[in-house]
Amino acid sequence: MTDDAASAESDQSEFSRFITGLARGVAGALFFALPMLMTMEMWYLGFYMARERLLLLVILNIPLLVLLAHRIGFEKTVSWRDAVRDAIVAYGIGIPTSAIVLAALGLLRGDMSASELIGKIALQSVPASIGAMLGRSQLGDEDDDTERKSTPYHSELFLMGTGALFLSLNIAPTDEMIVLSYKMTIWHALVISLISIALMHGLVYAVSFMGGHELSPETPWWHAFVRFTLPGYVVALTVSMLTLWIFERLGDSSAIEIMVSVIVLGFPAALGAAGARLIL
Amino acid sequence: MTKSENGRRRERQDAHWIEWLTGIVSALLVAALLGWLGWEALMRPTTPPDLSIHVVSTQPSSGGYRVAFDISNAGTTTAAAVTVIGRLIKDGQVIEESPVVFDYVAAQSKTQGAIFFRNDPAASEMVMRPAGYTSP
Repeated sequence: MTDDAASAESDQSEFSRFITGLARGVAGALFFALPMLMTMEMWYLGFYMARERLLLLVILNIPLLVLLAHRIGFEKTVSWRDAVRDAIVAYGIGIPTSAIVLAALGLLRGDMSASELIGKIALQSVPASIGAMLGRSQLGDEDDDTERKSTPYHSELFLMGTGALFLSLNIAPTDEMIVLSYKMTIWHALVISLISIALMHGLVYAVSFMGGHELSPETPWWHAFVRFTLPGYVVALTVSMLTLWIFERLGDSSAIEIMVSVIVLGFPAALGAAGARLIL
Repeated sequence: MTKSENGRRRERQDAHWIEWLTGIVSALLVAALLGWLGWEALMRPTTPPDLSIHVVSTQPSSGGYRVAFDISNAGTTTAAAVTVIGRLIKDGQVIEESPVVFDYVAAQSKTQGAIFFRNDPAASEMVMRPAGYTSP
Protein backbone atom coordinates (compact mmCIF):
# COMPACT_ATOMS: atom_id res chain seq x y z
CA MET A 1 0.00 0.00 0.00
CA THR A 2 2.57 2.54 1.11
CA ASP A 3 4.74 1.64 -1.86
CA ASP A 4 1.84 2.23 -4.23
CA ALA A 5 1.09 5.59 -2.64
CA ALA A 6 4.72 6.63 -2.85
CA SER A 7 5.00 5.66 -6.51
CA ALA A 8 1.71 7.41 -7.33
CA GLU A 9 3.01 10.52 -5.62
CA SER A 10 6.29 10.38 -7.52
CA ASP A 11 4.35 9.86 -10.78
CA GLN A 12 2.32 12.90 -9.87
CA SER A 13 5.41 15.03 -9.23
CA GLU A 14 7.10 13.64 -12.35
CA PHE A 15 4.03 14.66 -14.36
CA SER A 16 3.81 18.15 -12.88
CA ARG A 17 7.53 18.61 -13.39
CA PHE A 18 7.07 17.72 -17.05
CA ILE A 19 4.21 20.22 -17.39
CA THR A 20 6.34 22.91 -15.72
CA GLY A 21 9.09 22.07 -18.20
CA LEU A 22 6.68 22.45 -21.12
CA ALA A 23 5.45 25.78 -19.77
CA ARG A 24 9.04 27.01 -19.44
CA GLY A 25 9.64 25.84 -23.00
CA VAL A 26 6.68 27.86 -24.29
CA ALA A 27 7.84 30.89 -22.29
CA GLY A 28 11.35 30.52 -23.73
CA ALA A 29 10.02 30.09 -27.27
CA LEU A 30 7.93 33.26 -26.96
CA PHE A 31 10.68 35.20 -25.24
CA PHE A 32 13.29 34.38 -27.86
CA ALA A 33 11.18 34.15 -31.02
CA LEU A 34 8.77 37.05 -30.62
CA PRO A 35 11.15 39.59 -32.20
CA MET A 36 11.30 37.34 -35.28
CA LEU A 37 7.58 36.55 -35.26
CA MET A 38 6.99 40.29 -35.47
CA THR A 39 9.51 40.98 -38.24
CA MET A 40 7.99 41.67 -41.63
CA GLU A 41 10.86 40.18 -43.63
CA MET A 42 10.47 36.87 -41.79
CA TRP A 43 6.84 36.60 -43.01
CA TYR A 44 7.90 37.29 -46.60
CA LEU A 45 10.82 34.87 -46.38
CA GLY A 46 8.33 32.22 -45.30
CA PHE A 47 6.85 32.19 -48.78
CA TYR A 48 9.58 33.34 -51.12
CA MET A 49 12.75 31.72 -49.79
CA ALA A 50 14.03 28.71 -51.76
CA ARG A 51 12.46 25.56 -50.35
CA GLU A 52 15.74 23.63 -50.37
CA ARG A 53 17.36 26.29 -48.17
CA LEU A 54 14.40 26.26 -45.79
CA LEU A 55 14.64 22.46 -45.66
CA LEU A 56 18.37 22.71 -44.94
CA LEU A 57 17.72 25.16 -42.09
CA VAL A 58 14.95 23.02 -40.60
CA ILE A 59 17.12 19.88 -40.80
CA LEU A 60 20.27 21.57 -39.45
CA ASN A 61 18.20 22.68 -36.48
CA ILE A 62 17.80 19.07 -35.30
CA PRO A 63 21.47 18.25 -34.54
CA LEU A 64 21.81 21.77 -33.13
CA LEU A 65 18.98 21.14 -30.66
CA VAL A 66 20.34 17.71 -29.74
CA LEU A 67 23.83 19.09 -29.06
CA LEU A 68 22.33 21.99 -27.14
CA ALA A 69 20.20 19.60 -25.09
CA HIS A 70 23.23 17.46 -24.38
CA ARG A 71 25.13 20.52 -23.19
CA ILE A 72 22.52 22.40 -21.20
CA GLY A 73 19.60 19.95 -21.06
CA PHE A 74 16.99 20.87 -18.52
CA GLU A 75 16.95 17.58 -16.67
CA LYS A 76 20.74 17.51 -16.50
CA THR A 77 20.73 15.32 -19.57
CA VAL A 78 23.51 12.83 -19.52
CA SER A 79 22.65 10.31 -22.19
CA TRP A 80 22.22 11.05 -25.89
CA ARG A 81 18.79 9.37 -25.77
CA ASP A 82 17.58 12.01 -23.30
CA ALA A 83 19.15 14.74 -25.41
CA VAL A 84 17.28 13.54 -28.50
CA ARG A 85 14.04 13.39 -26.50
CA ASP A 86 14.58 16.91 -25.17
CA ALA A 87 15.36 18.17 -28.68
CA ILE A 88 12.17 16.64 -30.08
CA VAL A 89 10.10 18.16 -27.27
CA ALA A 90 11.68 21.57 -27.88
CA TYR A 91 10.93 21.37 -31.60
CA GLY A 92 7.45 20.14 -30.70
CA ILE A 93 6.96 23.24 -28.53
CA GLY A 94 8.40 25.56 -31.18
CA ILE A 95 6.07 24.57 -34.04
CA PRO A 96 2.65 25.07 -32.34
CA THR A 97 3.89 28.17 -30.51
CA SER A 98 4.89 29.85 -33.81
CA ALA A 99 1.69 28.67 -35.49
CA ILE A 100 -0.51 30.07 -32.69
CA VAL A 101 1.30 33.42 -32.49
CA LEU A 102 1.35 33.84 -36.30
CA ALA A 103 -2.37 33.00 -36.46
CA ALA A 104 -3.15 35.36 -33.57
CA LEU A 105 -1.32 38.18 -35.35
CA GLY A 106 -3.48 37.60 -38.43
CA LEU A 107 -0.60 36.37 -40.57
CA LEU A 108 -2.08 32.95 -41.35
CA ARG A 109 -5.31 33.08 -43.30
CA GLY A 110 -7.42 30.44 -44.98
CA ASP A 111 -6.96 31.90 -48.45
CA MET A 112 -3.17 31.48 -48.36
CA SER A 113 -1.55 28.58 -50.19
CA ALA A 114 -0.44 25.59 -48.13
CA SER A 115 3.17 26.27 -49.14
CA GLU A 116 2.97 29.80 -47.72
CA LEU A 117 1.35 28.66 -44.45
CA ILE A 118 3.81 25.83 -43.90
CA GLY A 119 6.80 27.92 -44.97
CA LYS A 120 5.97 30.67 -42.48
CA ILE A 121 5.50 28.25 -39.58
CA ALA A 122 8.56 26.15 -40.48
CA LEU A 123 10.83 29.20 -40.65
CA GLN A 124 9.63 30.59 -37.31
CA SER A 125 9.78 27.21 -35.60
CA VAL A 126 13.60 27.25 -35.81
CA PRO A 127 14.22 30.23 -33.48
CA ALA A 128 11.18 29.22 -31.40
CA SER A 129 12.57 25.74 -30.79
CA ILE A 130 16.00 27.12 -29.82
CA GLY A 131 14.15 29.49 -27.49
CA ALA A 132 12.16 26.60 -26.04
CA MET A 133 15.37 24.68 -25.39
CA LEU A 134 17.08 27.65 -23.76
CA GLY A 135 13.92 28.51 -21.83
CA ARG A 136 13.69 25.07 -20.34
CA SER A 137 17.22 25.31 -19.05
CA GLN A 138 17.75 29.01 -18.38
CA LEU A 139 14.36 29.83 -16.87
CA GLY A 140 14.57 26.70 -14.76
CA ASP A 141 16.27 26.01 -11.46
CA GLU A 142 19.65 27.60 -11.00
CA ASP A 143 22.42 25.25 -11.86
CA ASP A 144 24.50 24.16 -8.99
CA ASP A 145 27.35 26.32 -10.10
CA THR A 146 29.54 25.66 -7.12
CA GLU A 147 30.27 22.21 -8.51
CA ARG A 148 33.37 21.97 -10.58
CA LYS A 149 32.61 21.38 -14.21
CA SER A 150 34.77 21.68 -17.25
CA THR A 151 33.77 22.61 -20.77
CA PRO A 152 35.68 20.81 -23.50
CA TYR A 153 37.15 23.01 -26.22
CA HIS A 154 34.82 21.78 -28.99
CA SER A 155 31.71 22.45 -26.94
CA GLU A 156 33.01 25.93 -26.09
CA LEU A 157 33.20 26.57 -29.87
CA PHE A 158 29.76 25.01 -30.33
CA LEU A 159 28.25 27.32 -27.68
CA MET A 160 29.78 30.31 -29.46
CA GLY A 161 28.23 29.09 -32.72
CA THR A 162 24.80 28.77 -31.06
CA GLY A 163 24.98 32.29 -29.63
CA ALA A 164 26.11 33.64 -32.99
CA LEU A 165 23.30 31.78 -34.78
CA PHE A 166 20.73 33.14 -32.37
CA LEU A 167 21.55 36.80 -32.93
CA SER A 168 22.13 36.19 -36.65
CA LEU A 169 18.65 34.70 -37.05
CA ASN A 170 17.26 37.84 -35.43
CA ILE A 171 19.10 40.25 -37.67
CA ALA A 172 19.95 38.50 -40.97
CA PRO A 173 16.42 38.63 -42.46
CA THR A 174 16.02 42.39 -42.03
CA ASP A 175 16.47 44.79 -44.95
CA GLU A 176 18.65 46.95 -42.74
CA MET A 177 21.46 44.40 -43.20
CA ILE A 178 21.45 44.97 -46.94
CA VAL A 179 21.13 48.75 -46.69
CA LEU A 180 24.00 48.95 -44.19
CA SER A 181 26.36 46.99 -46.38
CA TYR A 182 25.51 49.29 -49.31
CA LYS A 183 26.08 52.43 -47.26
CA MET A 184 29.37 51.30 -45.75
CA THR A 185 32.75 51.61 -47.35
CA ILE A 186 35.42 48.95 -46.92
CA TRP A 187 37.08 51.14 -44.29
CA HIS A 188 33.90 50.99 -42.22
CA ALA A 189 33.88 47.20 -42.55
CA LEU A 190 37.49 47.02 -41.36
CA VAL A 191 36.68 49.10 -38.28
CA ILE A 192 33.55 47.02 -37.49
CA SER A 193 35.56 43.84 -37.77
CA LEU A 194 38.24 45.10 -35.35
CA ILE A 195 35.57 46.34 -32.92
CA SER A 196 33.87 42.92 -33.06
CA ILE A 197 37.09 41.10 -32.16
CA ALA A 198 37.91 43.56 -29.35
CA LEU A 199 34.40 43.33 -27.89
CA MET A 200 34.42 39.53 -28.04
CA HIS A 201 37.62 39.39 -26.06
CA GLY A 202 36.67 42.22 -23.72
CA LEU A 203 33.22 40.88 -22.88
CA VAL A 204 34.51 37.50 -21.86
CA TYR A 205 37.80 38.32 -20.18
CA ALA A 206 38.16 41.96 -19.23
CA VAL A 207 34.71 42.88 -17.99
CA SER A 208 33.96 40.93 -14.85
CA PHE A 209 30.47 39.71 -15.49
CA MET A 210 29.13 36.76 -13.58
CA GLY A 211 30.19 33.78 -15.66
CA GLY A 212 33.11 35.71 -17.12
CA HIS A 213 36.31 33.86 -17.77
CA GLU A 214 39.58 34.71 -16.18
CA LEU A 215 43.14 33.80 -16.85
CA SER A 216 45.70 32.57 -14.40
CA PRO A 217 48.04 35.45 -13.59
CA GLU A 218 50.95 33.70 -15.25
CA THR A 219 49.12 33.20 -18.60
CA PRO A 220 49.78 35.95 -21.14
CA TRP A 221 46.57 37.56 -22.47
CA TRP A 222 47.22 36.54 -26.04
CA HIS A 223 46.99 32.84 -25.15
CA ALA A 224 43.22 33.10 -24.66
CA PHE A 225 43.01 35.57 -27.55
CA VAL A 226 44.48 33.06 -29.99
CA ARG A 227 42.83 29.96 -28.51
CA PHE A 228 39.31 31.30 -27.92
CA THR A 229 38.59 34.77 -29.28
CA LEU A 230 39.94 34.37 -32.83
CA PRO A 231 38.39 30.92 -33.42
CA GLY A 232 35.18 32.36 -31.96
CA TYR A 233 35.27 35.21 -34.48
CA VAL A 234 35.82 32.77 -37.34
CA VAL A 235 32.84 30.72 -36.07
CA ALA A 236 30.73 33.91 -35.86
CA LEU A 237 31.63 34.93 -39.43
CA THR A 238 30.89 31.42 -40.72
CA VAL A 239 27.48 31.40 -39.04
CA SER A 240 26.82 34.89 -40.36
CA MET A 241 27.67 33.84 -43.92
CA LEU A 242 25.51 30.71 -43.63
CA THR A 243 22.44 32.63 -42.39
CA LEU A 244 22.85 35.31 -45.06
CA TRP A 245 23.04 32.59 -47.71
CA ILE A 246 20.00 30.72 -46.33
CA PHE A 247 17.97 33.94 -46.26
CA GLU A 248 19.08 34.75 -49.84
CA ARG A 249 20.73 37.99 -48.85
CA LEU A 250 23.88 37.47 -50.92
CA GLY A 251 22.45 37.32 -54.43
CA ASP A 252 24.79 37.94 -57.34
CA SER A 253 26.99 40.35 -55.40
CA SER A 254 30.73 40.51 -55.86
CA ALA A 255 32.99 38.83 -53.29
CA ILE A 256 33.92 42.08 -51.55
CA GLU A 257 30.25 43.13 -51.21
CA ILE A 258 29.43 39.71 -49.73
CA MET A 259 32.34 40.05 -47.29
CA VAL A 260 31.09 43.47 -46.13
CA SER A 261 27.61 42.01 -45.44
CA VAL A 262 29.16 39.07 -43.59
CA ILE A 263 31.24 41.42 -41.42
CA VAL A 264 28.23 43.63 -40.66
CA LEU A 265 26.19 40.62 -39.51
CA GLY A 266 29.35 39.25 -37.88
CA PHE A 267 29.21 42.14 -35.40
CA PRO A 268 26.02 40.99 -33.62
CA ALA A 269 27.04 37.36 -34.24
CA ALA A 270 30.33 37.95 -32.41
CA LEU A 271 28.50 39.53 -29.48
CA GLY A 272 26.11 36.56 -29.46
CA ALA A 273 29.06 34.17 -29.42
CA ALA A 274 30.67 36.00 -26.50
CA GLY A 275 27.33 36.21 -24.69
CA ALA A 276 26.76 32.47 -25.05
CA ARG A 277 30.09 31.78 -23.35
CA LEU A 278 29.01 33.92 -20.42
CA ILE A 279 25.43 32.69 -20.10
CA LEU A 280 25.30 29.03 -21.12
CA MET B 1 39.50 23.31 -21.78
CA THR B 2 37.73 25.72 -19.44
CA LYS B 3 37.11 24.99 -15.78
CA SER B 4 34.14 26.38 -13.85
CA GLU B 5 34.47 27.10 -10.19
CA ASN B 6 32.12 29.26 -8.12
CA GLY B 7 30.62 30.75 -11.24
CA ARG B 8 34.03 31.89 -12.49
CA ARG B 9 35.69 30.00 -15.27
CA ARG B 10 39.38 29.76 -15.67
CA GLU B 11 41.16 28.87 -18.88
CA ARG B 12 43.70 26.15 -18.41
CA GLN B 13 47.33 26.94 -18.97
CA ASP B 14 48.28 23.56 -20.43
CA ALA B 15 46.16 23.66 -23.56
CA HIS B 16 45.81 20.70 -25.88
CA TRP B 17 47.68 21.13 -29.17
CA ILE B 18 44.39 21.10 -31.11
CA GLU B 19 43.39 24.35 -29.36
CA TRP B 20 46.61 25.98 -30.54
CA LEU B 21 46.18 24.60 -34.05
CA THR B 22 42.59 25.93 -34.26
CA GLY B 23 43.79 29.23 -32.83
CA ILE B 24 46.62 29.60 -35.32
CA VAL B 25 44.44 28.64 -38.32
CA SER B 26 41.82 31.16 -37.13
CA ALA B 27 44.46 33.84 -36.67
CA LEU B 28 45.65 33.26 -40.25
CA LEU B 29 42.07 33.41 -41.57
CA VAL B 30 41.32 36.65 -39.70
CA ALA B 31 44.65 38.16 -40.81
CA ALA B 32 43.91 37.18 -44.43
CA LEU B 33 40.43 38.71 -44.19
CA LEU B 34 41.71 41.98 -42.73
CA GLY B 35 44.57 42.05 -45.22
CA TRP B 36 42.22 41.53 -48.16
CA LEU B 37 39.83 44.23 -46.92
CA GLY B 38 42.72 46.63 -46.35
CA TRP B 39 44.15 45.97 -49.80
CA GLU B 40 40.73 46.45 -51.44
CA ALA B 41 40.13 49.61 -49.42
CA LEU B 42 43.44 51.07 -50.59
CA MET B 43 43.49 49.84 -54.18
CA ARG B 44 39.84 49.99 -55.26
CA PRO B 45 38.96 53.40 -56.68
CA THR B 46 35.55 54.85 -55.85
CA THR B 47 33.59 55.01 -59.09
CA PRO B 48 29.95 56.08 -59.47
CA PRO B 49 27.32 53.45 -60.40
CA ASP B 50 27.73 52.36 -64.00
CA LEU B 51 24.56 50.54 -65.04
CA SER B 52 24.12 48.37 -68.09
CA ILE B 53 21.22 46.22 -69.23
CA HIS B 54 21.33 42.91 -71.02
CA VAL B 55 18.08 41.41 -72.33
CA VAL B 56 17.91 37.72 -71.51
CA SER B 57 14.63 36.53 -73.04
CA THR B 58 11.30 37.63 -74.53
CA GLN B 59 8.39 35.33 -73.82
CA PRO B 60 4.63 35.60 -74.32
CA SER B 61 2.73 35.89 -71.04
CA SER B 62 -0.96 36.26 -70.24
CA GLY B 63 -2.07 39.50 -71.87
CA GLY B 64 1.24 40.42 -73.48
CA TYR B 65 4.96 39.77 -73.52
CA ARG B 66 7.52 39.50 -70.76
CA VAL B 67 11.03 40.77 -71.44
CA ALA B 68 13.47 39.45 -68.81
CA PHE B 69 16.79 41.25 -68.39
CA ASP B 70 19.89 41.46 -66.22
CA ILE B 71 21.04 44.80 -64.91
CA SER B 72 24.64 45.05 -63.79
CA ASN B 73 26.52 47.75 -61.97
CA ALA B 74 30.20 47.98 -62.90
CA GLY B 75 30.87 50.87 -60.51
CA THR B 76 32.10 50.49 -56.94
CA THR B 77 29.13 52.40 -55.49
CA THR B 78 25.67 50.91 -54.98
CA ALA B 79 22.73 52.54 -56.75
CA ALA B 80 19.31 52.72 -55.08
CA ALA B 81 15.85 53.25 -56.60
CA VAL B 82 17.14 52.45 -60.08
CA THR B 83 14.43 53.15 -62.64
CA VAL B 84 14.59 51.20 -65.89
CA ILE B 85 12.41 52.33 -68.80
CA GLY B 86 11.57 49.99 -71.65
CA ARG B 87 10.21 51.50 -74.90
CA LEU B 88 8.88 49.98 -78.09
CA ILE B 89 9.51 52.24 -81.10
CA LYS B 90 7.88 51.79 -84.50
CA ASP B 91 8.43 54.19 -87.42
CA GLY B 92 10.06 56.71 -85.10
CA GLN B 93 7.03 56.73 -82.76
CA VAL B 94 7.03 55.41 -79.19
CA ILE B 95 4.13 52.96 -79.22
CA GLU B 96 4.53 51.64 -75.70
CA GLU B 97 6.51 52.51 -72.59
CA SER B 98 6.81 50.49 -69.33
CA PRO B 99 8.95 51.35 -66.30
CA VAL B 100 10.29 49.16 -63.49
CA VAL B 101 12.11 50.24 -60.30
CA PHE B 102 14.87 48.26 -58.58
CA ASP B 103 15.32 48.96 -54.87
CA TYR B 104 19.05 48.37 -55.16
CA VAL B 105 21.67 47.39 -57.68
CA ALA B 106 24.72 46.60 -55.55
CA ALA B 107 28.23 47.68 -56.46
CA GLN B 108 29.96 45.33 -58.90
CA SER B 109 26.92 43.07 -58.89
CA LYS B 110 24.01 42.17 -61.10
CA THR B 111 20.36 41.52 -60.50
CA GLN B 112 17.36 40.37 -62.57
CA GLY B 113 14.09 41.99 -63.55
CA ALA B 114 11.41 41.93 -66.23
CA ILE B 115 9.17 44.38 -68.08
CA PHE B 116 5.75 43.60 -69.55
CA PHE B 117 4.62 44.90 -72.95
CA ARG B 118 1.22 44.52 -74.58
CA ASN B 119 2.68 44.69 -78.11
CA ASP B 120 5.11 42.14 -79.47
CA PRO B 121 8.64 43.51 -78.93
CA ALA B 122 9.86 41.49 -81.92
CA ALA B 123 7.67 43.55 -84.26
CA SER B 124 9.25 46.85 -83.27
CA GLU B 125 12.49 48.33 -81.99
CA MET B 126 12.95 47.82 -78.25
CA VAL B 127 15.00 50.28 -76.17
CA MET B 128 15.77 49.61 -72.50
CA ARG B 129 17.76 52.05 -70.47
CA PRO B 130 18.33 53.00 -66.85
CA ALA B 131 16.73 56.39 -66.25
CA GLY B 132 18.34 57.29 -62.93
CA TYR B 133 19.23 56.27 -59.39
CA THR B 134 19.61 57.65 -55.88
CA SER B 135 22.32 57.06 -53.24
CA PRO B 136 21.37 54.26 -50.85
